[in-house]
Amino acid sequence: MTEHQMPFDHQPDTELGDALRRALAPAAHDAFVARVMSRVGTTRAGSWDVLASWAGRGIAAALLVLGAGFAAGRLMQPAVGTASLEEALVMGPADSGGAATAVVRGSRPPDASVVFSSLRP
Amino acid sequence: MDRYAEQARRVARAVLRDPDDADDAAQDAFLSALVKLEQYDPRRPFGPWLMRIVANAATDRRRRRSVRSAEPLDPGVVGGGPRPDVVAERSALSERLRQALAELPERRRLAVVLFDVEGYSHAEIAGMLKVPEGTVRSEVFHARRKLRTLLEDWREPS
Repeated sequence: MTEHQMPFDHQPDTELGDALRRALAPAAHDAFVARVMSRVGTTRAGSWDVLASWAGRGIAAALLVLGAGFAAGRLMQPAVGTASLEEALVMGPADSGGAATAVVRGSRPPDASVVFSSLRP
Repeated sequence: MDRYAEQARRVARAVLRDPDDADDAAQDAFLSALVKLEQYDPRRPFGPWLMRIVANAATDRRRRRSVRSAEPLDPGVVGGGPRPDVVAERSALSERLRQALAELPERRRLAVVLFDVEGYSHAEIAGMLKVPEGTVRSEVFHARRKLRTLLEDWREPS
């Protein structure tokens, strides 16, 4: 605040700065910090609520897509190989290749008694 | 937050004369900063980033409300009035400074407070206020000239 200070000083004017700091000094620092922190807690809780709602919708959408994919997969599954070994054996020797296919592609293991009874000495 | 609370409140008060309004603005700024935290670049200093948010929050609040108390005061009111006694000198000077600050344009108030009180560089303040560095220098100069005159007048009789 002295006359020797030039208009474009690069240094802060400490005297003016101190006077302004006193003039603008806030009161009740701890109360202010506590007040803001309580609001911060509320804001965070709000954020979690939003995130939770997003997650709920995301999970529901994911389950929907998964179910649709599973259903589509089932519909597109080829009919070949769904015959069981027993059915293939009943078809007889003309379709002997069908037994092997049924064993490889079948979703259920063949009944052992049927397998053994089909073996001829 | 504890570290920047007082600084934020002072900067907000440079824009808003009412201390309660200033505290509300500072609180808004802290909450806003929390939400925007992922936008903060940790390679850069935190203070200027936060103070930009504080200045914006205070300016927004001033614009939203009726600004009777933030409008420039009648110079006759500022210049007149009896001097307080010696005991109350410091608080009276503070009040005069606040009134003088309120007479300055908002950007000028912020510039001088950020530079002379908070110690930010011209370049940092330019970034906060989104104005050229030369503008900040000019604003600080004009604000100082006004406030120094007030301080010199105050000092002379004592």
